Amino acid sequence: MKSTIISLKINGANREFLAQPGTTLLAALREGQGLTGTRRGCEQGTCGACTVIVDGQTVLSCLIPVETIDGASVETIEGLANVNTLHPLQEAFLEGFATQCGFCTCGMIMAAKGLLADNPNPTRDDVIRAISGNVCRCTGYDAIIDAILDGAKRLRTPVSVAA
Amino acid sequence: MLQGVVAPQSMPELGAALASGPGQTVMAGGTAVMPVINGGQHATTRLISLRRMGLSGITVASGMVSIGAATPLSALAKHPDLAFLRGAIDSIASPTIRNMATVGGNLFVAAPYGDLAVCLIALGATATVSGAGGERTVVAVETLSAPILHTAEIVSRISFTLPAPGTFHYHKAARRALNSASIVTVAAVLPVAAGLIKGCRVALGGVAPRPVRAASVEALLEGKPLTLATVEAAAAAAKADIHPATDAYASAWYRARVTPVHIRRAILGE
Repeated sequence: MKSTIISLKINGANREFLAQPGTTLLAALREGQGLTGTRRGCEQGTCGACTVIVDGQTVLSCLIPVETIDGASVETIEGLANVNTLHPLQEAFLEGFATQCGFCTCGMIMAAKGLLADNPNPTRDDVIRAISGNVCRCTGYDAIIDAILDGAKRLRTPVSVAA
Repeated sequence: MLQGVVAPQSMPELGAALASGPGQTVMAGGTAVMPVINGGQHATTRLISLRRMGLSGITVASGMVSIGAATPLSALAKHPDLAFLRGAIDSIASPTIRNMATVGGNLFVAAPYGDLAVCLIALGATATVSGAGGERTVVAVETLSAPILHTAEIVSRISFTLPAPGTFHYHKAARRALNSASIVTVAAVLPVAAGLIKGCRVALGGVAPRPVRAASVEALLEGKPLTLATVEAAAAAAKADIHPATDAYASAWYRARVTPVHIRRAILGE
């Protein structure tokens, strides 16, 4: 049972690490890279908590053996903004009280980011469809949908910050 | 326990990998295989990923559609020539799963999944079976089951003729509006010539271990005018074509009871 050297570009930085056979992208991010924003939920592809973006596509990191995406570019919630700033989607979630326990939030935001990359001006129905694979057991979804629409608006009209 | 994961890049490499012993599982998008692997109760020692086989892509030429088996479902939904399939694709799982799940994989998932396979059976699609020696044979999608594939073979490509505009019908009954597995899935191609149905194909999903062709329904539609009476009589015959099971979504009794209703809704666009 040999480990394999895997190279990934994670949030813009080249990373190389050893992976045992069958290590999922989720495990590699959380345990190998310390990127624990990507949540381990069901590990069945059902809850969406582990959603990340691989080569521009939103995917479920629990369903990807990391050996199969050697060389790929991976974006996680940690890559959305610098340490001292928030991405407009994160701002919208924060200001719109769109989190309760927070477990689903990172997956929701990554799914939303995937939506907005294809469709910067989504309807409420578009948002509902985009997060239909992401389960939230706290909020009842309305605040999350509102926040994604608000985030989309913020991304369309960037606020200029005074010096 | 998993001992290895390989991602061959050519048919000879794949053939060699597949021929190297028991305990191997082929995976494409991983949406069906990985939940089992993650669950821990499996006999797989080596995963063979098709991701690097170059089997992804869609070509449409002279009304013929050819889709690489590892093409993700989301790519079909985005293709301008496949707009008639968009509703069917959107009825399958979530956008994230559709970015991963593949056309070829959808042919091999068990009920209540496989809605695209239902469409492909209705479209009269064929599957190209390939192994180390290249493409071996072409089979109808509805005949596709494990015995057709030799141990060291995969489906590499799906092909079908574009249906005439307005002749493709699809309807899926599920518990929820989005991201919900099938209770009954109906797909049909119903060409009408001189007021009569000619060359129809009807397929059903969720009501048998695998998607099935509804030959009894087709027999009662063929050659008749497309009327409510024709459709209701044909839909009632579907019970000869199905073998529904009880699962978390619906009972076998319920599936059998509502199948004719959903055939009618699919065909008449209700």
